Amino acid sequence: MESDSQLVARAQRGDQQAFAELVRRHSAPVFRLAVSILGQEFIPEAEDVAQEVFLKVHHAIESFRGEAEFSSWIYRITFNQAVNLKARVRFRSPHADETVLYRAVSPEPGPHRQAETAQRDQALAECIRTLPEVYQSALRLYYWLDAGVGEVAELLGVPENTAKSYLHRARQLLHGMLKERGYSYD
Amino acid sequence: MTEMEPREAEIDSLLRRSMAAPVPRLPLDFDERLMREVRRSSQPLDRYRRILLTGYGLTSVVTSAAVMRGQGLGWGAISVMILGPLALVAAARWARRATYTTMRHGAK
Repeated sequence: MESDSQLVARAQRGDQQAFAELVRRHSAPVFRLAVSILGQEFIPEAEDVAQEVFLKVHHAIESFRGEAEFSSWIYRITFNQAVNLKARVRFRSPHADETVLYRAVSPEPGPHRQAETAQRDQALAECIRTLPEVYQSALRLYYWLDAGVGEVAELLGVPENTAKSYLHRARQLLHGMLKERGYSYD
Repeated sequence: MTEMEPREAEIDSLLRRSMAAPVPRLPLDFDERLMREVRRSSQPLDRYRRILLTGYGLTSVVTSAAVMRGQGLGWGAISVMILGPLALVAAARWARRATYTTMRHGAK
């Protein structure tokens, strides 16, 4: 199997097949990273981000010198593109409320308990949205998209220990915020 | 993961319960649609559009310089008035990139 750098070299010479293979290899992780930044409410936008990223990469592939891994380069572009889009769509109505989507797969018995859970989940979702982008992304990758710490680290372009510390710090911050709002979660 | 203290384990289990939702995936025809778009954007028409835009930019610069010179402005002032806005655009792009880099590293 050809390595990414061999495919990049072929794509730089205008080989569309090589570029198609790069897309096939990297489209899923690029989409996962975009979704982890934009959140559940903006999944169609994450697909748009993935498309824009590959179009950008195609236009700029000749300038790629191979000083970093191709995957790191493309994930960095994805991160910036998704954060830019998030800033633009922040005030637009989401396609679906994050907590509604969560509840759809975690039904709780009893209307009172269900209301309590919904309220707490809503508070948690709000708290998550106030965290720094990398913490939010790490949390969504790890807890929602079932990524391991290794994948979180790779997509965010940081060492594994840093990814672990993102998750640790995010949990600490969320604990404090929920406590401040008077929620218990045992 | 390393062992967590009880307080962290509680929030960990809350996050697991609360964030459990179907994992979204790209549509099966995503790669195909994207490659069609890639082929379309690398058509000669797009290259001509870029050449046309560059030509328009250069013509504007030369015309502006000629008009300003005709009005008696010195080359120094003309250069500042033409290069200033270009430098501003470049600086804004650089600042935006630097902000995101800081955002990423600031969270470490």
